[in-house]
Amino acid sequence: MFKIFQRLWQVNWAEQWQYRANLIMYLLYWLVSPIIYLAVWTSIANSKGSVNGLTANDFTTYYMTLLIVDQITSNIVIHTFGYKIQDGTLAGELIRPIHPMLTNALVNNIAFKALTILGFIPIWIILFFLFKPDYGGVTLTGILLSIPAMILGFFISFLLSASITALAFWTTRVYSIHEFYYALVLLFSGQFVPLTLMPKVIQEIAQYLPFQLFLYYPVQLILGRLSSAQIVQGYGMGLIWLIVAITVFNLVWRNGVKRFSAVGA
Amino acid sequence: MNVSKLLAAFLKVNVQMAMAYRADTVVNILLNIMWLGWELLSLGIIFSNTDTIAGWKFGELIALLGVFRLVHTLMIALIWPNTEKFNQSIRDGSMDYTLLQPVNSMFLVTFSRITVWRAWDLFLAIILVVVGINMSNTIVSPLSIAIFILLTISGAIVIYSLWIVLIALTFWFTKFDNNVTILQALLDAGRYPVTVYPAWLRILVTFVIPIAVATTVPLQGLRGELSVGRAVLFMLIGAGSFLIASQVWKRGLKQYSGASS
Repeated sequence: MFKIFQRLWQVNWAEQWQYRANLIMYLLYWLVSPIIYLAVWTSIANSKGSVNGLTANDFTTYYMTLLIVDQITSNIVIHTFGYKIQDGTLAGELIRPIHPMLTNALVNNIAFKALTILGFIPIWIILFFLFKPDYGGVTLTGILLSIPAMILGFFISFLLSASITALAFWTTRVYSIHEFYYALVLLFSGQFVPLTLMPKVIQEIAQYLPFQLFLYYPVQLILGRLSSAQIVQGYGMGLIWLIVAITVFNLVWRNGVKRFSAVGA
Repeated sequence: MNVSKLLAAFLKVNVQMAMAYRADTVVNILLNIMWLGWELLSLGIIFSNTDTIAGWKFGELIALLGVFRLVHTLMIALIWPNTEKFNQSIRDGSMDYTLLQPVNSMFLVTFSRITVWRAWDLFLAIILVVVGINMSNTIVSPLSIAIFILLTISGAIVIYSLWIVLIALTFWFTKFDNNVTILQALLDAGRYPVTVYPAWLRILVTFVIPIAVATTVPLQGLRGELSVGRAVLFMLIGAGSFLIASQVWKRGLKQYSGASS
């Protein structure tokens, strides 16, 4: 099994390395909106002293940390896998004795991340000197606690996106469905603003949804802004959603593959 | 050659293409409404925590959102589809046929694909501008409205010219497939007044990739923040950038050798 993953890694790393110029462009895309939100909220906090108890530095550290967490928990499976179902290339992968999504696509995603992180580190350092966040409140415990949370967040996000991608077995409009899903992520994950500044209703709902586990929860863990009760609740939610995501994915995938008949087959 | 006749023909072809995918068009419009809802909600969230951003009120940001969506529509409805076609034509050599036609090649390359249903987006954008201005009680005079309209047009021309320059670079560097990504990535910076941003970002989106010239500047004109001299200067920049862009395009064409030869 280990050997399979090792080989998959070599192949996928080489594949992603080919597109390194595109990766830089992708990085640029994905950096811009957190930086804009950072600028907007710090400007508001500076003019008022604080927003709802959050100072300008609280916003700076929030978005700077979010950039890192997002890099780890996000996935691109819809873009790398959706077309394989639609144009039938999946057929070739299905006859291999390994799961196309849970091995190949997963490793491909991780190789993609590893490469973007390489490009991201120098950019983050430059941003660090431009925005000068004060990370005084961060403890080692917080960082250690956040690592399993980020891994958990990544697997939940990967499995949910994989489930949506697998809807391509039924519909050609899977990209539109994914766009809708992305809007939910934007609303409930804390990408736009720390969830505590959201309307009460959204905060209440967000607690029980998986999306805050992608960004808000790990970020707050790193920054040490959660009580022990909140930390336990977050991990509890994470485990529940992991089980849900695994179940949903298996269900969608099994039924999908049964329906699948590739072009030319 | 009659430009308006040609444009009408392009529109007709593109309407026919859109009609072939009716259901997709409906889904796209629904998603579009969803994103508008999200944009308004996000402004609502910001203004539930503050009264102004860098001196701008809620209504003014709604109006800015309207102007931003004009530029955004330009991006999605014109720049994006035509760039895709252009890059393809450089790769497979079909650019040769475009050049053989007795029409200005720059016009042909930049207007042959139009995502027509986005016209609806322009309509929404204008509503946002009008509603936003009414909400904010900004005092507008006929002069400031005229300046606003002229600045919006010249801002759009600046973006259009930058686009021409970016795709013309493909003539020199054939493998330059990402030619408009930088423009698209930085576009989001147009949602908020640039005065909010730290100096380096402000300089980047004002002078290097001048998104702000098409979004913040027209509204500054409307709010009466720009002297008439400044406003005229921005309009001249619009005209100047178009002249430069068409020169770059002409030079680029001379570099083009065709993929088949």
